[in-house]
Amino acid sequence: MGRNKSDLIVFVGKRLLQLLPVVLGVIVITFFFTHVAVQNPCAVWAGAHATADQVQACILRFGLNRPLTDQFWRYLTTLLSGDWGANPRGGVPVLLSISSAFPATLELVLASLFIMTVIGIPLGVVAANGAGRWADHLVRVFYLSGWATPTYLGAVVLAIAVGPAIGLPTKGDFTTKPPFYGPTHMSVLDALWALDFPAVGDALLHLVLPASALALLNLGIATRMTRTSMLEVLPLDFVKTARMKGLSDFVVLYKHALRNSLISTVTILGITAGVLLSGTVVIETIFQWPGIGAYAYDAITGYNFPGTIAVVIVFAVAVVISNLLSDVLYGILDPRVEWR
Amino acid sequence: MVEPVLDVQDLSVEYEAGAGTFHALTGVSVRLDPGRVVGIVGETGSGKSTLAHAIPRLLPEPPARIVSGKISFRGVDVLDLPKWKLPLLRGTGIGMIFQEPINSLNPAYRIFDQVAEAVAVRKLRDAGESPTLFPAPEPHDYSKGMVVKSGEALLHPIATKLPGRRRRARREALMQDVLDYLRLVRINDPETILDLYPHELSGGMRQRIMIAMALSAKPSLLIADEPTSALDITIQAQVLTLMKELMEEVQTSILFISHDLGIIAEMADEVGVLYAGHLVEFGPVEEVFANPRHPYTKLLLRSVPAQYKDDGPLPALSGSVPSLANVPPGCPFHPRCPLMRDACKTNPGPLLEPVKGISARTHLSACYYSDEVARMA
Amino acid sequence: MASATDSELGVDATPWTLLRGKASHLREILRPFIRVLRANPLTLIGFILVVIISTTALLVAIVPVISQVVLGHPVLLTPYDPNGISTDYSQAPSLKHLLGTDKLGLDIFSRVLAALPLDLAIGVGIAGFALLLGGGLGLVAGYWDKPRTLGGVISAVILRVTDVFLAFPSLVLALAIAASLGRGTGPSILAVLLTWWPYYVRLTRGEVLAVKHRPYVVAARAAGVSEVRILFRHVLRNLIEPLLVYYTLDIGTVIITFSTISFVGIGVPLDVSEWGTMVEAYEQLLLTHPWTVLAPGAAIFITVLAFSLFGDGLRDILDPRSRRTLVQAVAATTLPGQVAGAAEA
Repeated sequence: MGRNKSDLIVFVGKRLLQLLPVVLGVIVITFFFTHVAVQNPCAVWAGAHATADQVQACILRFGLNRPLTDQFWRYLTTLLSGDWGANPRGGVPVLLSISSAFPATLELVLASLFIMTVIGIPLGVVAANGAGRWADHLVRVFYLSGWATPTYLGAVVLAIAVGPAIGLPTKGDFTTKPPFYGPTHMSVLDALWALDFPAVGDALLHLVLPASALALLNLGIATRMTRTSMLEVLPLDFVKTARMKGLSDFVVLYKHALRNSLISTVTILGITAGVLLSGTVVIETIFQWPGIGAYAYDAITGYNFPGTIAVVIVFAVAVVISNLLSDVLYGILDPRVEWR
Repeated sequence: MVEPVLDVQDLSVEYEAGAGTFHALTGVSVRLDPGRVVGIVGETGSGKSTLAHAIPRLLPEPPARIVSGKISFRGVDVLDLPKWKLPLLRGTGIGMIFQEPINSLNPAYRIFDQVAEAVAVRKLRDAGESPTLFPAPEPHDYSKGMVVKSGEALLHPIATKLPGRRRRARREALMQDVLDYLRLVRINDPETILDLYPHELSGGMRQRIMIAMALSAKPSLLIADEPTSALDITIQAQVLTLMKELMEEVQTSILFISHDLGIIAEMADEVGVLYAGHLVEFGPVEEVFANPRHPYTKLLLRSVPAQYKDDGPLPALSGSVPSLANVPPGCPFHPRCPLMRDACKTNPGPLLEPVKGISARTHLSACYYSDEVARMA
Repeated sequence: MASATDSELGVDATPWTLLRGKASHLREILRPFIRVLRANPLTLIGFILVVIISTTALLVAIVPVISQVVLGHPVLLTPYDPNGISTDYSQAPSLKHLLGTDKLGLDIFSRVLAALPLDLAIGVGIAGFALLLGGGLGLVAGYWDKPRTLGGVISAVILRVTDVFLAFPSLVLALAIAASLGRGTGPSILAVLLTWWPYYVRLTRGEVLAVKHRPYVVAARAAGVSEVRILFRHVLRNLIEPLLVYYTLDIGTVIITFSTISFVGIGVPLDVSEWGTMVEAYEQLLLTHPWTVLAPGAAIFITVLAFSLFGDGLRDILDPRSRRTLVQAVAATTLPGQVAGAAEA
């Protein structure tokens, strides 16, 4: 049986090992696009009114006149030694920015996943149960509408029109900078840690709109997958057995059928990490959420090369790890699967 | 006159598929008395599974449609029940076991949880009564029956009316019953399989567990839809032996569906022969198999190869079973029947009636010329 | 049936009867398609919308060019010149200006129409190119992947590179590439293209792997059918359904990603009509002049919704097998058959 704890550890270990070449590849590609394709970053960094001397000083300082392989090697070695560089404009160390921004995004993504699960999955069950009838069509129009709305449009409408209309905050993660120091950099958890309950409420309110924006636009993924796998599961014999035990429709659907369809849904959700992370770039910028998506936006458009590469590394690792998590969860949910 | 456990009258079921309308059942009537075993035999495409699923209303309603007829279970009109009352009918009223045990058990839950769930449902409904293993089936008052509360059943395999709220107390409360029923189906050392998943067991074991689950609810009627067709011959024999012994011990009426004449001959008291959705013959099993009174039955019996004989080519029936979308008018068997005459071709076809010329009125045949079948070549 | 009389007539068949025969033959092929469309009203709506949008885009793009050639001056299908400043500032939608005007007097309806061919062509074109490129690579990686052969080595290389690209969230990669290449229509098209092909590799490879071991393929090979024939008859035929569905749904996603790049400010230059740039330009006017923002937004929404409705419904209509392989396909390319095996179970 390939299902004991040691198998799991070996499986996870193998996958993490595969992470290394992927990360290396990611660095190479990003390095290529930042250092090679961009013509003259110093013109941007030194500022619009820089003199030629200042631009030249900038080039020397950042070693942009050296051969490319030399630049790459220097960058790689400094990266491995723990120095992730600093923003060429302003000098803020990259690692510092990222370590405080990433948890905030994690909080946002987890909140969105929660909303997607709680709303999306039951919608999928409802659609599958009434397949081909009006409930199904209604659900489909709902989630396809979310899918068809560009992230920026939905975020803009929510931030400028809907938020003020229903009184939900649209900027940042707290109304004013809270007095406590947050060890986790996740607004709700930090407030809980400091036992500042009004701040917890404030943090939750601030979380609602951006998380809802991210969730509603991507709800379709969860709903669609749930519907599809429920449609495959519902005709199976064990559902009939459950019905013939005298269990109510609700129990049959949620305890027996859904439990088996969750397997596919969970796999898909793990893979949507990439889509959600892409979404955070726009949503955090518009809602001014202090996360890594906003940082990525600033880094990319501001030609912050170390920042861009660092952010891309973090994203890539996040995507790979969430794929890994969904595979592990798959194995946990389906007792037939072995970890190879 | 004993009230029948099951009384199906003139049931007709249709399926709407893209390619046409399938007449799965036409005018089928079956009566099942308490404690008896009725077998339904028929080839693939004869409608037997439809009959099995129609009785507890397991048919998916959009493609399937019950066109006419009446199904009466212990006096309750099944077709008239509102959807939410259907769970009350099942489990302790009607139980069912299916063909492929690997598919019939939920792959995500352990054996104990699944069997305990069935036991818990019954216990809830019997709330208050002390459980004994083999009581006579008690008439259930369906108006007072309880549907398992969805919330609790969702969180745990059992519900809150049972002693104690803690999981271990519940597990213990149900454990005895679970073990008893697993032993009932001749599983030795049932403690060892409680924590296993269905895919870790053999087919024969899984089918026994299905039977245990169904019986643990103490149903008045058990429908067995080809329970041994997916098993190896040797395992098949074991499960059938088990079922025969259970029939002695447990007073449940059984509706046994199979395509295997031999199994029906061994297990059933009465048999009904289905052809293209029509019930063409019905009667005591020894009588029907010894003296078939419908051409189809006779030809079917004749086509079964006798053991150890080599008499030349097998006498197979000519032609093939009609598609349920194109059932011939009148008697559905007439295109292939050696006794066919003009009267056989017109609608309405022959009804299931007592055979002419026999005093006992228990042997029914749907053939105008049932008296000639005995003399058929 | 007309085709029956066709053959009965034989030598005496006139062109008219031949034509009637062909028409009824065609009708019989289309019949299941039509029946299915009728059973799925949403898919039908999507299909109709797709047809309308595509024809409009085609006309808006081509008529000026053709009329320039034929008549000597371009005939614009937009009511006003999309870049024509006028004195009708910030007007709400009216009969004169169907979707109102912005603060420079530009007619919003004309701008939206003018952007349609570009955005639609981007969606169809980039997704199509990614389909061909990624699909081809995925086919190679899936079919000729025996280890220690040349095909095996190439497959491994393709997979590794694809995995790296797949580790980027799509928008992030597209933004990074677009930012580095500079502003412009061409660079942003290239950016999206480079981001998009890996998904098709993964999808195609998954599908090919599934088909490769099916009993009928193995049987064909055992019977001596040439590899090329197997490839064309079995493998490619099975690929068409899931790829077509994915492609249809992808068109919308590409349009959204492309317009996001423009929204951020590193996409098309300001003088090119594009829905993303329009939303960005009018963003702050949402509360005061909502039509300016909502018009291009609605245009994107309706276009993507149309393709999604159609593609989503297509997915239901076509072989349910394609659903299963989609789950399989989205697992990582380097993951051994575990997910695939369990998904098949």
